Amino acid sequence: MDNNQKRFVEDALDLLNELDEGLMQLEANPIATAPLEQVFRTLHTLKGGANMFGFEHIGELAHQIETLYDLVRQGTLQVSDGLISLTLQAFDTVRDILQEKDITKMRGQEALQYHLQAALDFLQNTLPSSTYALEESSEGRLQKDILATILVRVVPAIKITEEGNHPLVFIVQDIAALGASKQHISKNESGEIDHWAIIIATTVRPAELETYFIFVEGECTFELHHLGVGNLLEDEKLHQAAEDYFHQVIDLEQLKTEAGKFAEHLPFSDKLLDGETEAETVPNRKIVNDTIIKVSKRKIDDLLNWISELIILQSRLSDINSRINSTDFNEVTEQLLLVTNHLRDTSLEIGLVPIETLVTKFKRLVRDLSKSMGKKVNFLSEGADTEMDKDVIEIMGEPIMHIIRNAIDHGIETPEERKAAGKSEHGTVKIKAFNSSAYINIIISDDGRGIHKENIVRKAIAQGLVSSEAALNDEDIYQLIFHAGLSTASQVSEISGRGVGMDVVKQKIHELRGNISIKSQPEIGTAFHIKLPLSRSIIEGLLVNVAETRYVIPLNMVDRIDRIPYQALERQNYVNKTVVVNEEPLSVLSIREEFHHDHQPPKTSDIISVTLEGIKKGIAVDRIEGKIQAVLKPLSEVYQQQDFIVGSTILGDGSLALVLDPQRIFNLSKS
Amino acid sequence: MNNSHESKPYLTFSLGDEKFAISINFVQEVVEIGQYTKVPRSPDYMLGIINLRGKVLPLLDTKLKLGLPKTVISKKSRIMVLDLQGYEDRNLQIGALVDLAKEVIEIKENEIQEAPDFQNSQASAPVTGILNNQGDITLIMDVEKVFSVQDIMQIKQSVA
Repeated sequence: MDNNQKRFVEDALDLLNELDEGLMQLEANPIATAPLEQVFRTLHTLKGGANMFGFEHIGELAHQIETLYDLVRQGTLQVSDGLISLTLQAFDTVRDILQEKDITKMRGQEALQYHLQAALDFLQNTLPSSTYALEESSEGRLQKDILATILVRVVPAIKITEEGNHPLVFIVQDIAALGASKQHISKNESGEIDHWAIIIATTVRPAELETYFIFVEGECTFELHHLGVGNLLEDEKLHQAAEDYFHQVIDLEQLKTEAGKFAEHLPFSDKLLDGETEAETVPNRKIVNDTIIKVSKRKIDDLLNWISELIILQSRLSDINSRINSTDFNEVTEQLLLVTNHLRDTSLEIGLVPIETLVTKFKRLVRDLSKSMGKKVNFLSEGADTEMDKDVIEIMGEPIMHIIRNAIDHGIETPEERKAAGKSEHGTVKIKAFNSSAYINIIISDDGRGIHKENIVRKAIAQGLVSSEAALNDEDIYQLIFHAGLSTASQVSEISGRGVGMDVVKQKIHELRGNISIKSQPEIGTAFHIKLPLSRSIIEGLLVNVAETRYVIPLNMVDRIDRIPYQALERQNYVNKTVVVNEEPLSVLSIREEFHHDHQPPKTSDIISVTLEGIKKGIAVDRIEGKIQAVLKPLSEVYQQQDFIVGSTILGDGSLALVLDPQRIFNLSKS
Repeated sequence: MNNSHESKPYLTFSLGDEKFAISINFVQEVVEIGQYTKVPRSPDYMLGIINLRGKVLPLLDTKLKLGLPKTVISKKSRIMVLDLQGYEDRNLQIGALVDLAKEVIEIKENEIQEAPDFQNSQASAPVTGILNNQGDITLIMDVEKVFSVQDIMQIKQSVA
């Protein structure tokens, strides 16, 4: 697969998400034109790209389905469940195909054959008497639009020649072929193209023209200028003006004036045009305003790595600064610290993308699931613009999907049950995302029947997970849900209830150093609250010292710190093994005891209180040295067995500290 | 084709009184020993982790790994940074602590004698051959055996 094809696949996957989104909106509001136009345009773009990059089978499918939506636009066909489902299913398969690693599988015709036939059948069945020929559809559409003369200026951002096989060359040719046109290629001495100027009289709308460039975004900038209604090229004078413009005898403004003069003579008025074309200049927002550019993930990772290095160097410099008595040096160091911190904050944001892409997927899931289970479910989302690390989004997709699946399967009742319970027939599943300090919060809630604690406890006891005498608080009980093998669904359904899943959900969140908590009220609903750290590579932590080894404890888990005499820790000869800290008995784990029992103990010990799975626990260290920004460096893979250490971090003096995973340390001492 | 007269470069080093040589194909560089941080619950011969210009590497005590007494760190102690083949052909870099790193020498294939039987060694010999310079013995270390990925990745073998 060449680079252009790779880019196509990447862009096409984005387009498929947009398509899903549009279809979902269209389903919710079948007579709205905006989503219809979006669906149509997306299909069209997809078709163009697929044909251009050698995925003709996808192009053909897109074309056939586009035809159906064209009929909708013309009012011949109504948006129906069948149509939406057919489209969704067809492009689900396309998505699967595009995710194949093997290009021959990607090109496989068979997979799409079924959907292609389905689309054809759909057309046949809708219009049994019509002799509607497929090819006419696009012609028909063109007639509807208004002929206008447009100046297209394309400036390649990379070096290309006319002979080079760059897609941009073909795109420009394609555009020039959309109607009567006149074009000029301006080259430099070495034959590289400086820019194209095409004046074209076409019925294709500017918005659609823009879509031609979607696969070469970043490799060129382009501008569309509306010169006037009708085919202005019919006029000799304008021909001359165009030539003058091409050879820079007149500038764009003068050309527009010339065009304006002529346009006045035409029987049309600009007012006939819709809002989109009314704007004189339609520059591509994405490129000209520089709001979005595509950057390869590798480059961003590289950048982040270098910034991590900078932070480490910075801390070394600060360390040296504290030992050198120089005002000048001190000033520079402090300013550098400021700059480094800014750089760090900015760089962390670069790799972030809105969770919107996930939300679209969830909408699909809710739609498909509720349909198949005969439940009525509204899906609401809030804060879809909340940004997260792209990798994290990819990792979190499945876990959140699972929670939603559970919410619909176990949480939301059938319409009859809901009616009987005095609720509205439509259940609601809501996903809310927001930032708070160094965390991203995702709350998935439903207004279903809630979690019945007794059922969980009964099940857990039956499976021997807890003893029947155990006194469990709410948190304990909810945490049982994450236990592998526990499923409270009385009947195992295909969707959920196999009891595999919630443990994986928790594990995934745990791997990202986040946590998940549950709140539930019978008959009112359930909410899952996922909290994830903003950054995967830089964490805030407490730097602590135990027997001359330095550890970092992630700050996000820390509730409070206390200093106690060391003897208070020694509970071997007591029945009560807890340590009284801040007037409360606390179950304390001593790092010294766990890892360094052969060293001389200190006089005092600092106790770090953490909340793990809703239970307060203490970690005893010799001494807390302070708060640090730790750039996480993975331990060598030879330390896979030591999974209670998340990684290491380089301190200001060049030495290494070990970043602990408190949860796993407690598990370690249990086993 | 006769390769036996072709010479290959080896790095020589000492462990106690014994001289060793290791093919320089494995050796990335030799550095002085600085601070290292012990990782809890790891075997004794895994001394800990070191910071090699921002890269975190595990440090192994070569003597302990061979069943010899622990290395006493001196001014002459050196870390050989070795490139090993980890799992799934991934590159695995480790630091191996030795008492003294000497020089790079050229050794001809035909100069290397077959390793004698080490009667008292519990495992098979950790050397691929020896170089005998009039009774001055240099052992050619079997890097893949001494620093076997299986060992240093601490793969749990079923304890009978």
